[in-house]
Amino acid sequence: MNYKITREIIIYSILIIFAIIMIFPFLWMFINSFNTEQNIFKIPPSFIPDKLFKPGMFDNYETVLSQYHFLRYTFNSIFVSFSAAFGQIITCSLAGFAFARMNFKGKNILFGLLLSTMMIPIQVTIIPEFLLMMKLGWLDTYLPLIVPSFLVGSFGTFLLKEFYENVPKDLEDAAVIDGAGPFKLYWSVFLPLGKTPLATLFIIAFMNNWNALLRPILYISSDNLMTLPMALTQFQSQYGARWNLLLTGSFLAVIPLFIVYLFMQRYMVEGITHTGLKG
Amino acid sequence: MKKIGWIVLLMISLLVFTTMAEQITLRYWMWDPSIKAKVQAAVGRFESIHPNIKVELTTIEPRDYWTKLRIMASTNKLPDVFNMSSGYIEEWSANGLLLDIQKYVDTDLKISDYFASLFNMAKYPKGTGDIYALPFAWVTPVLFFNKTAFDKAGLSYPDENWNWFDFLNAAEKLTIVEKGKVKRWGFWLYGRYANVEPWIYRDGGHLLSPDKKRFAPDKNAIETMEFLTKLVTTYKVAPMKKDMTGVRSQDVFPLGMAAMWVDGSWNIENNRSLIGNKFKWGIAPVPVGPHGSKKILYAWPDMIAISAKTAHPEEAWELAKFMSGPGLTMNMYMAGKIPSYKPLADSAAFLEKGKQPSEKGILLQLGKDEMVNSFTKGWSEWRGYGAAEGLGLNGALDAVMNGEMSFQEAMQKVTSYANRVLSRYYK
Amino acid sequence: MPPFSNLRGGFLKKGLKWYRPWHAWVFILPALLGLFVFRLGPIIFAFFMSFTHWDIFSPPDWVGFSNYAEMFSDPTFWTMLKNTFIFSGIYVPSVMVIGLVLAVLVNQKFRGVNTFRAIFFSPVVTSAVAIGLVWGWLLSPKYGLLNNFLQLFNVAGPSWLGDPKWALMSIAFVMTWKMAGYYMILFLAGLQDIPVVLYEASRIDGATPKQTFWHVTLPLLSPTTFFVLIIAIIDSFRNFQIIYTMTRGGPGVSSTTLVYSIYQNAFVFYRMGYASAIAYVLLAIVGGITLANFYLKKRWVKYQS
Repeated sequence: MNYKITREIIIYSILIIFAIIMIFPFLWMFINSFNTEQNIFKIPPSFIPDKLFKPGMFDNYETVLSQYHFLRYTFNSIFVSFSAAFGQIITCSLAGFAFARMNFKGKNILFGLLLSTMMIPIQVTIIPEFLLMMKLGWLDTYLPLIVPSFLVGSFGTFLLKEFYENVPKDLEDAAVIDGAGPFKLYWSVFLPLGKTPLATLFIIAFMNNWNALLRPILYISSDNLMTLPMALTQFQSQYGARWNLLLTGSFLAVIPLFIVYLFMQRYMVEGITHTGLKG
Repeated sequence: MKKIGWIVLLMISLLVFTTMAEQITLRYWMWDPSIKAKVQAAVGRFESIHPNIKVELTTIEPRDYWTKLRIMASTNKLPDVFNMSSGYIEEWSANGLLLDIQKYVDTDLKISDYFASLFNMAKYPKGTGDIYALPFAWVTPVLFFNKTAFDKAGLSYPDENWNWFDFLNAAEKLTIVEKGKVKRWGFWLYGRYANVEPWIYRDGGHLLSPDKKRFAPDKNAIETMEFLTKLVTTYKVAPMKKDMTGVRSQDVFPLGMAAMWVDGSWNIENNRSLIGNKFKWGIAPVPVGPHGSKKILYAWPDMIAISAKTAHPEEAWELAKFMSGPGLTMNMYMAGKIPSYKPLADSAAFLEKGKQPSEKGILLQLGKDEMVNSFTKGWSEWRGYGAAEGLGLNGALDAVMNGEMSFQEAMQKVTSYANRVLSRYYK
Repeated sequence: MPPFSNLRGGFLKKGLKWYRPWHAWVFILPALLGLFVFRLGPIIFAFFMSFTHWDIFSPPDWVGFSNYAEMFSDPTFWTMLKNTFIFSGIYVPSVMVIGLVLAVLVNQKFRGVNTFRAIFFSPVVTSAVAIGLVWGWLLSPKYGLLNNFLQLFNVAGPSWLGDPKWALMSIAFVMTWKMAGYYMILFLAGLQDIPVVLYEASRIDGATPKQTFWHVTLPLLSPTTFFVLIIAIIDSFRNFQIIYTMTRGGPGVSSTTLVYSIYQNAFVFYRMGYASAIAYVLLAIVGGITLANFYLKKRWVKYQS
C-alpha cells in the first residue's frame, strides 16, 4: 500500500514538473503582456507585471490590435488552414479508399511513390513550386497556400488506406448487394465509418497549415493576405526589443488555435491513439 | 448646312477622344508600404501636372520587393519606374535591365539642386560610366551619443574634430562598472556594415581592391577593424555581441545600455520613439582615424530607376524626376533619411527644430564630402545581410569580438570566403 | 475492428465486382494530380535546375556539375552539413526518449490524465514563430529568465543563442520542447495496442515493473518505435521556422542547417541552381537514412505474434 502511494507521488511530481516546463513559456507570454518596457528589462525579472490590475492594463493589447490587423490575420490563417485541411480529407479519403478496396494496374508503384515522397522536405520542392506558382499567376493569393496541401497528402492517404483495409469485406458486399456503386459505397459506407481518422487527419492538417511559415513568406506580400505566423515575424522585425508587445502579439496568435485545440482535444489525442498509427 | 455642323462636331469629338486615348499608364513600384498614402498623394500631384499620364502605384514590403522585382524582370514585365537600392544597382544595370538616363540627366536636370556626389554611385560601370538611376534619398552612419551620460561624466560632446583617442577616452569614462558588473557600456558595436565601414573610410581605408572586384582590406582597413574589435576584447568599453542577444542591435543605445553607438542615420526615428524623454542625445560625425580625412563619407543613396524596356521612356523620366525631387515632401523620409534634392533637404522642415537630436544640420554638412561605399554584386553574401546576417565579414567580426577567433584567423577566413563569393560574380 | 463481426454474411465468398478500373483512377485522381504536379514534378525539375546557374533575371545556364563541385569544395557547406547531422543527433534521440517517457506516464489510469496529455500536447499546436519568440526571450543571456534562474545557484549561463557552441543545441532543445507532445501521442498509440494479458502474464511471472518495461513493453513497442524514428528523422530536417525566428542561422553559420541554407541561397542570394543542388544533397540524405532504416528494420523490430 505504502509503495503504491510513494509511486503515485513520484509519478505525479514528474508529471507536474514536465507540465510546468511545457506550460511556463505560455504563462510567461501572458504575464509579460501586462508589463511596461521598463519592467521587462528588470534584473532579476519580476513575476508580477507592473500594469496588472492598474489603469492601462491592456495597453499592450491595444497597441498590438490597433497596429496589427490581428483579426484579419487570424481569419486568413483559419481560412487557409481550413480549406487545406478540408481538401486533405477529400483527397486522402478518396485515394485511401481506392488503394484499400480496389485493384488496378500500377497500384503498388503509385502507392510506393506516394509514400516515398512523404519524406521529402518541402525545401527541396519549394523552388520549382515557386516557379510554378509564378507561371500560374498565383503569387500573392491564397491559392499557393491551399492547393498544394489540398492535393498532397501522403501521410493521410497512408493513414486512411490502413483504416479502410481493416473494414470487413462483408460490409462492402452487403452494400453492393443493395445496389451501391463505388461512389455510393465510398460516400455512405466508408466515409461515415472513418469519422475518427478523418477528424484526426483534419486536425493534423489544420495544425500544419496553421503553423506553416515558408510558403506564406514566399508567396504572400499583401498585408491583407498575411497569416498569423508571418505577421508575427514581421512584428518581430518591427518591434525588436519591445518584448512586452512581442509577447502580447505571440499570446494573441496562440489563442485561436488553442481554443480549437481545447474543443478538439479528444479527437487529437484519442484520434491518433486509436487510428492505427502503428507503422 | 446643319449636316456639315454635325460632321464638324463629330470630327471634333473624335479628335478629343483620340487625344484622350493617348493617355498612357505607367507602373511604379516602391518598397515602403508604410508611406503609401503619402506617395499616392505625390503621384496624384504628378498626374494633375501631366494629365495624359496615369500612374499605377504598387508598394511592396522590402523583404519581398527584390524577389518580386526579379520575377518581373525575368518575365519581361518590369514596372516602368521602380525603387533601386545601392546594393543592387550594379547587378541590375550590368544585366541591361535599367534605362541609361545619362542624356536626360545632362539635358533636363539641374545637378546643383542635388547632392552631386550621389550620382557617382548610380553609375555603371562603377564610378565612371553612365547614370542609371536617380537618387531620391541618402543615408550615412553617424555617432549617436547620450548627452545626459556625457554631462554626468563631465565630458564635452563629440564634434567633427574628434579622433580615435578622444573617442576611446570618452568610451572608457562612460563605461560604468558596479560590483564587478558593467551597468552601462561606453559604446556598442557589432560587425554590420553600418557599424564598421564608416570607421574604415574615415581612416583612409578600403575594403575592396581598387577595381572593386576583390575583397582586399588594406592596411588602414585592417588597422580600423582591429581597433574596433579591441574596443570589446582589450579595452572592454563595448559588450560582446553574444551577451546582447535578445536585444535588437538598434535598441541597445536607445534603451540606455550603451552611451555611444555608430549606425545609420535612419535610426533617429527608432531612437526618438524608444528614448522619449528618458535622456538627452545627439549625433556627431564618426571620429576620424589616424590615417583618415574628415572629407570622406561612407554613405549611399536610395534611387529610382527606369526599366530598359519601358514603352514610354520620356514619361517615365518625368515621373522618376518628379518622384526623386520636386514631388516629394519631408514627411516621406524617416527622420534620418536625407533628401537628395537640396531644396527639400535645406528646408526648415528637415532640421526639425525642437526635436532630438538638435544636430541634424551636420548631416547636410557631411553631404558635401566625398561619398564612398563598398557595394558589389553578391554584397549580401560576402558582407552578411538580412536572413544571412551571420555570414561573411559580419560573422568574422562578431566571432573576434565574442572572443571565439583571433583577428588574424578571422581575416584570413573571411578573405578567402569573400573572394570565393566575388570570383563567382566577377570572372 | 470488432464492431463488424455481427455483419458476417458468409454467402459472398468471392465478393462482387462493383467497380470498373476507371473508377479507381477517378478516386485517386486528386492525389495523383498532387503527386505529379506538386511533388514529383518539382523534384525532377529541381534535379535539372541543380545543374544550372540561375539568378531569375536571365534564362538558366547549363553548367554541368559545377554547383556540386563548388558545394563540395566549400568549407561552409561542410559546416552546414555537420550542423544538420548534429541537430538530428540531438533532436531525434531526445524527442523520442522524452516522448516515450511522457507516453508511459500518461498511459496510466489516474485522475487528470487527460489534462496532462492536453498540456504536453499544447506546444505542438502552437505556432513555431510564437514559440521562437518567447524562447528567444527566455534564453536571452542577461535579461532572460533562464540565466537569471541559474544565477540563483551561482551558475553563469552562457549566451544560449549568441554563442556558437550553444546556438544549435538551444534550437534543438526548443524544437524538442515543441514536438515532444506529438511523439508522446504516437508512442501512446503503440502502448495502448499492447494487449493487457501480456502485462498480466509478466506480473504473474514475478517481473518488476522495470523488467516488464524492458522485456515486454519495449520489444512490443518496436514497430511503433520504428515508425516514430522515421518520422522524427524526417522532422529533424524540417527546422526552418525555429531557426528563421531565433537565430537566422547565426552566429556565423553555427546554426545554419541545410534546410536554412537552401532558403538563404534561393531567396536571399537568388542562386536557384546552387540551392537546388543543396536540396538534392538533403534529399539524398533523407532518402538514404530512410532506406537504411527499412533495411535494418528486420533486425530490431519485433511484431506481436
